[in-house]
Amino acid sequence: MSIVLKTENLNRFLGEGENRVHALRDVSLQAEAGKTHAIVGHSGSGKSTLLYLLGLLDRPDSGTIEIEGKATAALTDDQRTQMRSQSLGFVFQFHFLIKEFSALENITIPMKKLGRWSEKEMRERGMGLLQDVGLEDKAARLGNHLSGGEQQRVAIARALANDPAILLADEPTGNLDHKNADRVFDLLSKISHERGNAFIMVSHNPELAQRCDVVFPMEDGFLKG
Amino acid sequence: MNTNFQIALRFLLSRKRAMLMSLGGIVFGVGFFIITQAQTSGFEQFFIKTILGVNGMARIEDRFQSTMRSMQAEKGSNFRVSLEDSVKYISGVEFPQQIMEAVHHFPDVTAAAPVIRGSAMLVANFKEQDCKPYGIDSQQHFLVSDLDEQVIYGSIEAFQKNPYGVLVGERLARRMKLMPNDTLLLQAQGKSSRYRVAGVFETGIEQVDKERIYLHLSAARTLLERPTGASFIQINLNDPQKAPEFSARLEPVISHSVMSWQRREKTWLQVFYVLRISSALTVSTIILISGLGMFNTLVMIIIDKTREIAILRSMGYTRSDITQIFMLQGLMVLFAGIILGWAFAASTTYGLSKLPIRIRGIFATDSFIVNWELSHYLWAAAIATVIVGIAAYFPARRAARLEPGDVIRGSST
Repeated sequence: MSIVLKTENLNRFLGEGENRVHALRDVSLQAEAGKTHAIVGHSGSGKSTLLYLLGLLDRPDSGTIEIEGKATAALTDDQRTQMRSQSLGFVFQFHFLIKEFSALENITIPMKKLGRWSEKEMRERGMGLLQDVGLEDKAARLGNHLSGGEQQRVAIARALANDPAILLADEPTGNLDHKNADRVFDLLSKISHERGNAFIMVSHNPELAQRCDVVFPMEDGFLKG
Repeated sequence: MNTNFQIALRFLLSRKRAMLMSLGGIVFGVGFFIITQAQTSGFEQFFIKTILGVNGMARIEDRFQSTMRSMQAEKGSNFRVSLEDSVKYISGVEFPQQIMEAVHHFPDVTAAAPVIRGSAMLVANFKEQDCKPYGIDSQQHFLVSDLDEQVIYGSIEAFQKNPYGVLVGERLARRMKLMPNDTLLLQAQGKSSRYRVAGVFETGIEQVDKERIYLHLSAARTLLERPTGASFIQINLNDPQKAPEFSARLEPVISHSVMSWQRREKTWLQVFYVLRISSALTVSTIILISGLGMFNTLVMIIIDKTREIAILRSMGYTRSDITQIFMLQGLMVLFAGIILGWAFAASTTYGLSKLPIRIRGIFATDSFIVNWELSHYLWAAAIATVIVGIAAYFPARRAARLEPGDVIRGSST
């Protein structure tokens, strides 16, 4: 299996002055395609901060991040955005669907930006993704007319829209009940294994974390083990 | 449909009420701007048409002689003292025919007509009234004025056929109870002459209508004892706007003072100009307020859509995409506001033009005068574009500056 994400000695400080906190301390990790990875730790351990750095939503104060073999440190804001569009998919604790758009439209929004497919191909691809998450019959429903679990499944389909090499999830089941949480995790795990995406999940749920192929325990900004 | 446009439209429609308020402000701002400009410029144009139709585009009046303009301070000295009032004016035009021939060599001139002006006492129906007889050559004078269109009772033909026919101003005729075919006496230079009223004219300019009487040039020469010359020559030009340059060019050539209509009516023209600017500024505040409304609406949408902005950024939408999405919302409201504002302005302007209103004094009209001019519509659109553009730009820039990581971090538990 190939390494699609690699970090070396990542450091990140948050806050200013007296409130300045060393949130990440020399974090180095690798993620492999087709494997599921869990970053676990208590609240404030720096796991979400690490995920945002991996997702190019934030910049490290020092250290390097390579995505699919490309260094990201010197990239401009637009180049980082382009890389997010091509190589990264996000699932957040809150689904963040755009409520004015239907489930299918929410999935095609990232595809339209990437511009890789025709309108017809985007629709077909979107319907295929909805079928994968079991919501093909709710394609025309607006985002806010779906249940919490359904919204999160649409968010997963949207994260997979551009066929990213890396799927990042920040507490994807944190806002769901036990049954829906299991269902969403199983779905993410299955998709990742089938499609060959590297799945990296931040969670403080040790049960779910143990079901991942690789676990990165974090404490006080350090990656342990 | 472009994705950014589609997102902008959906975001905008999510705040229908606030958006409609902003839209209403732009519609009324654009509309009222055009309506006030249509009225003020309408009355201004009508005033100009009236005064050009009465007193012409330019007048050649007094002949001037240059006298000594400076004198030596001391014998043998190079120092000279300039003298004020070095031009001597001689009232009237001594040789009108030669001047008119010279004037016709100017390509801008379409017609010229001599006029003899004087003062007389009008006697009729046992009443007396001071008046100003104007001696005209009717054929020539109709080419430099709208007198033929200003006759409201009687006829021009009756005036042209009768060498002792006169045209009396409406106010003067009313005061003296004169109607066509009545006779009147004009007393000047110690003698009286009898004339017949051929018609009554109304210019709308009170000063003219209450004292002016037109009579034939030959009859006026006899009455006012001016066998030769003219008081002034009234001139018509191809382009009324060129009157000041034409006057400046003509004056030194013919050694007579030449007064353009712009100089003659400067006071009223200034009044209309100030009114137009003042109304434009006043009404622009409506557009300004609607711009503030647009600013507020966009800020509210951005606050409401912070998470969506963050997710769009995480999905590959650049900062300029975000700026575009929010600028587009402003532009959509602006575009709709301009189109609806134009429609509102056009329909209201049309309605106003049918509104009855009687105005006499500086012109005569029985309904609102409006001026349909494309530039009013373009100016209103330009002002709205600048104001709404600025109002949309700053919130859009703020939206683009949002850091997706900060937003998402703030949303997580």
